[in-house]
Amino acid sequence: MNVAVMKTKAEQAISESFEAVAEKLPGSAAVKARRAQAIGAFSGLGLPHRRIEEWKYTDLRVNVKEVLAPSVEDETPVTIAELLVALGPMAHVDGHRFVFVNGHHRAELDDVADAGGLKIAAVGELLASATEDLSATLAATPEGGDAVEALNTAFMTDGAAVRVAEGASVTKPLMIVFVRAGSQASSVTVRNFVTVEAGATATVIEAHVVLPGASPDVQLNALTEVTVGKGATLHHAKVAVDEGKALHLSNCDVTLDADATYRNFQFSAGLGLARNGLNIIFEGEGSKIDISGAYLARHSEHIDTTLVVDHAVPRCESRELFKGVIDGHGRGVFQGKIIVRPDAQKTDGKQMSQALMLTEDAEFDSKPELEIFADDVVCGHGTTAAELDPDLLFYCRSRGIPEKEARALMIESFIGEAIEKVENEPLRDALAAYAMQWLGHSPRG
Amino acid sequence: MLEIKNLHVKLADEDREILKGLSLTVPKGEVHAIMGPNGSGKSTLAYVLAGRDGYEVTDGDILWNGESLIDMEPDERAAKGVFLAFQYPMEIPGVAGLTFLRTALNSVRKKRGEAELTTPAFLKLAKEKGEKLNIDIEMLKRPVNVGFSGGEKKRSEILQMALLEPTLCVLDETDSGLDIDALRIVSEGVNALRDKDRAFVVITHYQRLLNYIVPDKVHVLADGRIQKTGGKDLALELEKSGYAEYTHKAA
Repeated sequence: MNVAVMKTKAEQAISESFEAVAEKLPGSAAVKARRAQAIGAFSGLGLPHRRIEEWKYTDLRVNVKEVLAPSVEDETPVTIAELLVALGPMAHVDGHRFVFVNGHHRAELDDVADAGGLKIAAVGELLASATEDLSATLAATPEGGDAVEALNTAFMTDGAAVRVAEGASVTKPLMIVFVRAGSQASSVTVRNFVTVEAGATATVIEAHVVLPGASPDVQLNALTEVTVGKGATLHHAKVAVDEGKALHLSNCDVTLDADATYRNFQFSAGLGLARNGLNIIFEGEGSKIDISGAYLARHSEHIDTTLVVDHAVPRCESRELFKGVIDGHGRGVFQGKIIVRPDAQKTDGKQMSQALMLTEDAEFDSKPELEIFADDVVCGHGTTAAELDPDLLFYCRSRGIPEKEARALMIESFIGEAIEKVENEPLRDALAAYAMQWLGHSPRG
Repeated sequence: MLEIKNLHVKLADEDREILKGLSLTVPKGEVHAIMGPNGSGKSTLAYVLAGRDGYEVTDGDILWNGESLIDMEPDERAAKGVFLAFQYPMEIPGVAGLTFLRTALNSVRKKRGEAELTTPAFLKLAKEKGEKLNIDIEMLKRPVNVGFSGGEKKRSEILQMALLEPTLCVLDETDSGLDIDALRIVSEGVNALRDKDRAFVVITHYQRLLNYIVPDKVHVLADGRIQKTGGKDLALELEKSGYAEYTHKAA
């Protein structure tokens, strides 16, 4: 039975804003048709709310009251020096750089010389190009599909299209940097495509950062579609560091061929309301993934990590470790679904989600879900929520470490275990430095 | 000099008194053993000296070099030279021993008005101290106490003690969970730190430890009070006759 639900003000505003900007969004007629289909699908779906199981703890219908104008064109001046300031500790990551300002590619800020087997293009240009047809790549939104992904298709302005050639081994990481700049609060929608061909190896870091003095408000919708080929390896990270007000909706949809290796690390700090969705499908046997992350929430920040790992074929391995530090009235949400299909024998899956609660008002909702239809598998999951161990605190203090530092050391120790998962050392150090900054300490020399 | 005067201590959230007028004096340069049956208040004494939460001093005082420790935070006490070697040293995953100890040492140095040590200077010092105690400082590259055996944990405590250079060392049941070889190594470490300016309070249930760390005095603690004080031979006596006499007396 379909019950007609009254549209909220925000849902109405989203549809109206699409009408207003549709002409300015890049794309051929076929792409425009996909966008129209997507906004139509969204219209039917509405903003996800708590009665939809996957959105039980993160109700967008309640939390999204205002809709910011889409950033369909942008001229905000940004220099490389400013970009490096925005990158903070990540400026030390030695890599290729592909840069977007308020959702629009800025070639003058790029650094992609001698990228070897790495081919990179701006999605905005590909969408507008008459020769490249991305409409085939853009999936139509299925009935009952994801409303956030539908909105991404409707509004996307730009993003990175990355292809790592067969057998290529790209040593330097590629940083796809999304900077927010200027005093204009807007909504930004970006779409990335990352394809790693058979036998190739690469590291891709998506960084969402803010220029000092930029508007603290943003509504971001980012979707990254990843394909990892046979025997290929992709080290993937997404780092989002903001000032506490951002609405950050991100999805990462990954398909793996046989014997592939995929590692993804999610780092979130200072996000007002974040939903980090990760959807992984094993399509070839013998592949391995490690999906991990660290998040820091304070004030009334809300960070949701929702993960679906679909073991559709035999002999694949999945590992997940998520750690959150929750202060003030902050809230952490973890939903981890592991599906093991009837044929997926010899699946090896392990999942762990832990939260450190620094106040009485901190909240953590954890929902591991194992759906196992095969009988010869090893799967396990665990979740913990705890406060700082007073005995450990006393141990540190009895050694002369003042309370504030002892607490910071223990939080660092907690979150450090997750950050250790990042294989790129400069990035690992940068994330540790962010965590220290968040704790109110300068990094130790 | 450590002076404990008529110390009364109860649990903060319970009305049960654990130390009931304990008095004890330990001059610098001496090692005093506190022996007693389970439940006599030995560990409470150790924790109250180090300033752990959860205990309430209702009467009496603890003076270290003439200064009362009672209202000091644990880290302030550490800066004043108090060190507690834990019966069960804690594990701190994700924090390397070197980072932990350098943070601790520099916090203490800062409070004592001394310059902080740089990483190379600290490493050099750690190596020196380790060599003196026959402890390989490789263990400090691993997270604090994580995956250590009982013996390794106690050795790590002794190394921490050597680095922080406390003047009042409280050893809480350091012998528990140690085999004879580990006991010997740990005891040798403690003996190497004996010094005319340093006082030791060695808390133990068994006489065995005192074969290795020979005390200047032995006190019997039962029912929250020192029941008897004697020389090192008192420990041997207790080993033979047990604590029945004291618990009976207490009852």
